[in-house]
Amino acid sequence: MSILIWILHNFWALLVVLLLMLVGLRIAWRFQKYGLNRAELSYVLRRSPFYLVVLTFCFFAAAPFLIMFMHSFKTDGDLYRRPQPFVFRQDPTLEHLDALFNNTAYLDFIRNSVLVGIAVVVITLLLSLPAAYALARLTGPWGERAGILMFLVYLVPPTLLFIPMFRIVVLLGLKDSPLSLIVVYPTFTIPFSMWLLSGFFKAVPPELEEAALVDGYNRVEAFLRVVLPLSLPGIISTIVFTFTLTLHEFIYGLVFIADTSQRTLSVGVPTELILGDVYFWQPLLAAALIIAIPVGLAYNLFLDSLVQGFTMGAVKG
Amino acid sequence: MYRFSLPAFPLDNRRLVGALFLAPALLYMLLLVGFPFVLAIAFGFSDVTVGNTDLNFVGLRNYLAVWENDIFRQVFETTIRFTLVSQVFILIFANILAIIFTQDFTGKWFARFIFILPWATPVSLAMIGWLWMLDTKYSPVDYLLLQTGFLGPNGILSNNRNLFWLATPDLSQISVIFVQVWRMTPLATVILMAGLSSIPTDILDQAEVDGSRFMRTLLQIKLPLILPIMVIALLFSMITMFGDMTVVYVLTRGGPVDYTRVLGLYSFQVGIEGGNLAQGAAISLFAFPLLLAMAIFMLRTASRAEVR
Amino acid sequence: MSIVQLSRLKKYFGAVRAVDGVDLAIDQGEFLVILGPSGCGKTTLMRMIAGLEKPTAGQIYIGDQDVTDLPPRKRGVSMVFQSYALYPHMNVFNNIAFPLKAQRREKKYSKRAMRDKVESTARLLEIDTLLDRRPRQLSGGQRQRVAIARAMVTQPAVLLLDEPLSNLDAKLRANARDELKDFQRSSNITAVFVTHDQIEAMGLGDRIVVMSEGKIQQIGSPQRIYDDPANEFVATFLGSPSMNILSNEGFRFGFRPEHFLPKTLQDNPENSRIFRYFVKRVEYLGSDRLVYGYVRGHDSALTLAKVPSNVRVSLDIEVDYEFAVHNSDIKYFDRSSGQRIEQQTLAQSD
Repeated sequence: MSILIWILHNFWALLVVLLLMLVGLRIAWRFQKYGLNRAELSYVLRRSPFYLVVLTFCFFAAAPFLIMFMHSFKTDGDLYRRPQPFVFRQDPTLEHLDALFNNTAYLDFIRNSVLVGIAVVVITLLLSLPAAYALARLTGPWGERAGILMFLVYLVPPTLLFIPMFRIVVLLGLKDSPLSLIVVYPTFTIPFSMWLLSGFFKAVPPELEEAALVDGYNRVEAFLRVVLPLSLPGIISTIVFTFTLTLHEFIYGLVFIADTSQRTLSVGVPTELILGDVYFWQPLLAAALIIAIPVGLAYNLFLDSLVQGFTMGAVKG
Repeated sequence: MYRFSLPAFPLDNRRLVGALFLAPALLYMLLLVGFPFVLAIAFGFSDVTVGNTDLNFVGLRNYLAVWENDIFRQVFETTIRFTLVSQVFILIFANILAIIFTQDFTGKWFARFIFILPWATPVSLAMIGWLWMLDTKYSPVDYLLLQTGFLGPNGILSNNRNLFWLATPDLSQISVIFVQVWRMTPLATVILMAGLSSIPTDILDQAEVDGSRFMRTLLQIKLPLILPIMVIALLFSMITMFGDMTVVYVLTRGGPVDYTRVLGLYSFQVGIEGGNLAQGAAISLFAFPLLLAMAIFMLRTASRAEVR
Repeated sequence: MSIVQLSRLKKYFGAVRAVDGVDLAIDQGEFLVILGPSGCGKTTLMRMIAGLEKPTAGQIYIGDQDVTDLPPRKRGVSMVFQSYALYPHMNVFNNIAFPLKAQRREKKYSKRAMRDKVESTARLLEIDTLLDRRPRQLSGGQRQRVAIARAMVTQPAVLLLDEPLSNLDAKLRANARDELKDFQRSSNITAVFVTHDQIEAMGLGDRIVVMSEGKIQQIGSPQRIYDDPANEFVATFLGSPSMNILSNEGFRFGFRPEHFLPKTLQDNPENSRIFRYFVKRVEYLGSDRLVYGYVRGHDSALTLAKVPSNVRVSLDIEVDYEFAVHNSDIKYFDRSSGQRIEQQTLAQSD
């Protein structure tokens, strides 16, 4: 606890020191390897503007998150009285994190989001795995046309559809229930994952399926036993991105569900943690950051795979 | 007489299995996108409200009312302005970043994690961070400007202690565009990275042997080769941007006055918050022809561009 | 006079020694072929000459200049890639003009001069009617010519070619090979050609460099390399089917299948070695018969003989025959190093 307080008190200094240390270590490592000579020095100098550009971009990307992190721990007095946003004048506190988890519906939001996400992933996979395979291998020109149609549907924004969707949800009696989101979210996750998955399926050599057909499987079995296991890494990354798509969605969640305890993260946090005009800043910022970091890590981990599926999906044939 | 019969080995028939595999997904989409879409058009021609759910045909009344509404005109303009201006910046930054991230450098993994964060974070949550960053009273940005003498008494930018990022007509628009660029650049970058990494290394080696330097290779080889993919990236981010209401919903609710109200938000406010479903549907439908034209134009450009 | 000089050149990729100490002098105007199995470091060697890879150690000289640390554009080399690497978004004219434009600032070409150069180079390669086409509208052979034209237009000191014929189909390839050789002779350019195809290498090269495991095994004219291999690797790598190698006390020896003939067919039996040869199988290849069998006393090594079909010798399977090889056609190799050694006495086989 006292370590956390110390870290937060010296947040910016530590950040700068850490950065300088990393840069210093890297340069020292180069000198150690190639010797401290003029050529090496000029190489380091030539390279530094590039890193400066990278750092600048990183700073702009990260700035709000750094502030979010720091301010989650500020006491009310420190936050609002004569603002000095970059230092702690009072010791950092965990009371807001405590309040976020114990006095708000934050845990409900997480539970709803996870439930909706998992259910949507299951529906999406069930429908889009075979469909993507059909697009990649089985169908001729009319299948390709269906694929382009799907792609165009993905481009129809929710703002165009939420009003009639809302009527349908009301008619089905699903208003204020996460079930409504489970039914509606696949309308954008299916085209997305079909596109990605058909890219991964195209990367499987067709000879392998043909060998399976010759070995006595029918087409459906060849798909289940040969293509699916081989595309597993791609399928996992599709799952990750489908899940995060549902996590991102805002409009449907806002329109369909008015009941606090049934809302999802992306809607619940910015609407329910604000009472009228009163913003509970520290819990708000913490609630946002707690979701941002793991999703960011997942994206970075699966980015290469996403890029691969994207390029393969874009290749015709 | 034609009699329907299954092929001898139905599960070995390519077309049958193909149709069977594709059908459930297509059906789902048809039911849950096609039907609401038709319904949206029907709503636009009716007088349906949240309270009164009867569909009475009222002809073009809603569309005319919307079109003659000054607020709508302004909203429409704002939406287009936001979309176009932000795309320019997104393209510039995405190109720079894509070139950076297709090279090898120390700390790349971590830098990539940082730069992906704005895109990975659910929009509404990231906007909370910006809401605080641009707060009227407590904005850390204002604080920095104050300390450096840009604000405050005798300040260069203003004599005030704050700039009111989200509360003045010009600044609120600039702020919204900045935040949109901030959150959408990573997606465009990732798409461009896919394009850049698919250029054969032989071509780049050849350019080097031919004596081409960095800028020439970039402008005459790399950029022309990824042009189709750049168009796709543009299409993606334009359509996302055009249909987005989350950013302004959290940051400004369309204010001050109507300066940051965009189409999606306006349709939400009229249709759901105001209860006039018919007008709300009519408002959002105005976007459709524009989106469709945009998509068709760009897909054509992309497929016409010479690659391979 | 040598135009390219490589001195103790090395390139390591981590623990892999792609090129491991190469010394080589390339003469002005010669057609040098670098031949070796895939992974022998030949492409890496060429990429280092081009400046696309930085050597781990060693020097590269082009003309009188040390170019080891210079970028490709300062070296006066050009290169034709296996894929031809034509810029797909430019027409043929702009493809050929690209190197001129890229080096315009240094060499100060006028627009007029550039156009003339592109057109005259295109005429030389007989592609002057294709200048408006895009690469994807060209046939494989035409693409190759465009790639060569683009490489030649700057009049480089050295032309590097990385297996440029392997993307052509067999019929075109023989033709393209002749044209390439004629073109190189008439333009008197120094060409370095990398290939794994020994027939291509034999047909094209003034000299052949045989590489294996990052090292040069032998340098010499095609005939020299075939008839007088420096070591066992070169002996077995060249020739199809490859040289028979048999082990003996303390050394190994080898002879080519086409030199291994029935005793009655040898014109000079006194200067020949006689082997008892047990025939297992005979394949008729039209002009030749390929015989598989064992030399008695070396029963573990499959030994091949290539007997012309036009000689009337009947060869039955599962029968012993007397076969003979000219003494001068037998090569001797050190058992451990594989290097050629002096003629050894062979115990007469019974």
